[in-house]
Amino acid sequence: MSARNRELLALIPVAILVTGGFTAVFIVESSQIGDLSLIYGGYFLAVCVGIHLFIRVRLPYADPYLFPLCALLAAIGLVMLFRINDELALKQASIFVGGAVLLALTILFVRDYHVLQRYRYLIATAGILLLMAPRLPGIGSQVNGAYLGINLGPFSFQPAEVAKICIVIFLASYLAEKRELLTVAARRIAGLTIPPIKHFGPLLVVWGATMIMLVYIRDLGSSLMFFGAFLALLYVATQRLSYVIAGLALFFVGATLIASHVSHVQDRVDIWQHTFDKNPCHLTKQEINAGEDCGVGQIQQSLFAQADGGLFGQGLGESLLKLPGPFAPHCEQPFPDCGSILPAPHTDEIYALIVSELGLFGGAGVIVIYALVAARGFKAAVMARDGFSKLLAAGLSAVFALQAFVIIGGVVKLIPLTGVTLPFVSFGGSSVIANMILLGLLLMISNDARRPLPPPREEGPVVGGLPA
Amino acid sequence: MDTEPIAVALKFGFLAVLYLFLLWVARSAWRELRTTTTPAPEATGIHPIGPGGRAAPTDAWLVATSGGGLEAGERFDLFGGISIGRSSDADVRIEDRFASGVHARVYSRGANYYVEDMNSTNGTFLNGGRLNGEAKLNDLDEVRIGNTEFRFELDVPDS
Repeated sequence: MSARNRELLALIPVAILVTGGFTAVFIVESSQIGDLSLIYGGYFLAVCVGIHLFIRVRLPYADPYLFPLCALLAAIGLVMLFRINDELALKQASIFVGGAVLLALTILFVRDYHVLQRYRYLIATAGILLLMAPRLPGIGSQVNGAYLGINLGPFSFQPAEVAKICIVIFLASYLAEKRELLTVAARRIAGLTIPPIKHFGPLLVVWGATMIMLVYIRDLGSSLMFFGAFLALLYVATQRLSYVIAGLALFFVGATLIASHVSHVQDRVDIWQHTFDKNPCHLTKQEINAGEDCGVGQIQQSLFAQADGGLFGQGLGESLLKLPGPFAPHCEQPFPDCGSILPAPHTDEIYALIVSELGLFGGAGVIVIYALVAARGFKAAVMARDGFSKLLAAGLSAVFALQAFVIIGGVVKLIPLTGVTLPFVSFGGSSVIANMILLGLLLMISNDARRPLPPPREEGPVVGGLPA
Repeated sequence: MDTEPIAVALKFGFLAVLYLFLLWVARSAWRELRTTTTPAPEATGIHPIGPGGRAAPTDAWLVATSGGGLEAGERFDLFGGISIGRSSDADVRIEDRFASGVHARVYSRGANYYVEDMNSTNGTFLNGGRLNGEAKLNDLDEVRIGNTEFRFELDVPDS
């Protein structure tokens, strides 16, 4: 079976899942089976087949599973959003279509992603500006103490989502060129290869930048995501585990120091460590009376919701998300913003909702999807034929997987909870759009990597490759 | 109409379809990893990448000469390196009672190819002598593992 037919075949179970999920939610909400869910499933399949046909024409050798796996994530996201509020699902569906168009545009306009190498400083500058934007007066906005969003008129946007792609492109192209410098002359101590101290320079620079970012946008999760992607790239480029160990140690020390000085970060760590203590983040009486809880309720409710799911979950549409009847709070805003027991069920906490409805097995399944996406990305990196492609594929996969790790880890209380989105699943335009671009780049790299080689020519000059 | 059983069925059905799908993807990925001896036309096998970022020149082969359940004359492209053994983890799988799971490997370093014994129980023999660690391979060297014999061929003219 050819790669493209596999891709088409893989879209069928995805469409079945959308249809089944919508049917289940619909049954619970209205106690009847309608043909509405079939229509939704049909639309979803149509959009996916559209993207598939585009890939078939433009990228005939691309990895056959990358796109269906991402479509599966989007499918689960849509079902969950439909369960929360059907308007949200409708909006997300149109964002998905918009993202699909953007995916196509990326593939059409970038054509050969190697040109990105030439604009690396421009791209890096754009990435840094995007990261800084949320603190600019006028357009910046603060959510729960972290500066992650910008408001442009009616639209709000999370620039970090796009910035992560810019930064990875820059790091990949920089390391592809400079990696030899980082691997020279090293001593081996206790099984670890330790390069001379001066070669830790770039690591220290990026570490410093991450720490500044942590102070600046006050978000532990996205700092971890960026720094983790950098370490992954550094490891792929140099095969030096010592860089990774030193980097993680530095991050831990730096984050601890900063946490004790920036109150928002400290709060996040406190409510993570003492989730069920009384007043874990030392609020004054007035603040408590004013209804503030520094976000501790979010993680508490998240844990309760997941515990409620058990092994197989409450069933789609059946978890307790809104208090019934007379207990339902009255509020002006539409549902997900107000009245939900689980705070932010459509963005930060969507993973808790999945576990609540589909249980441990559903949650583990979602994690497996992310693992498989990352595996396909790393596979593209292994097969790619030049250093930049390898590093770019590895970096994009790493940043994608790390983003999922940061938010899932936060929701299950493995690490402090921060406000990044669950890629392709969470509600949100910038997240879906940025990840569609990321997917487009990965598809292009894997298309290049899997294209059969033309008959061997004369031995060309050796271009900087990567260790196998 | 009582829809409760349908809702429960849908929940388990959802999980079942999800897991079957993931199993299918994982299995195909796993298979791709193992098809190393013959690169599929869609280029699915992982090949170690040599210096210069492309697969090492395929100018060397192991040719089965006898035993091991292999057809005499079967050629194994070395790419950057392959492992030989009885287990399914080995790139070249041989049916030989005297072979270990992953018995030996052949790999390239610089311009040369080397054979290395992977701490096998019964040892690897190079041109009749027992191999100690690794040794450089020359054209037409004989490699014996248990009752299975290979010939190493370098830069063979077009056949």
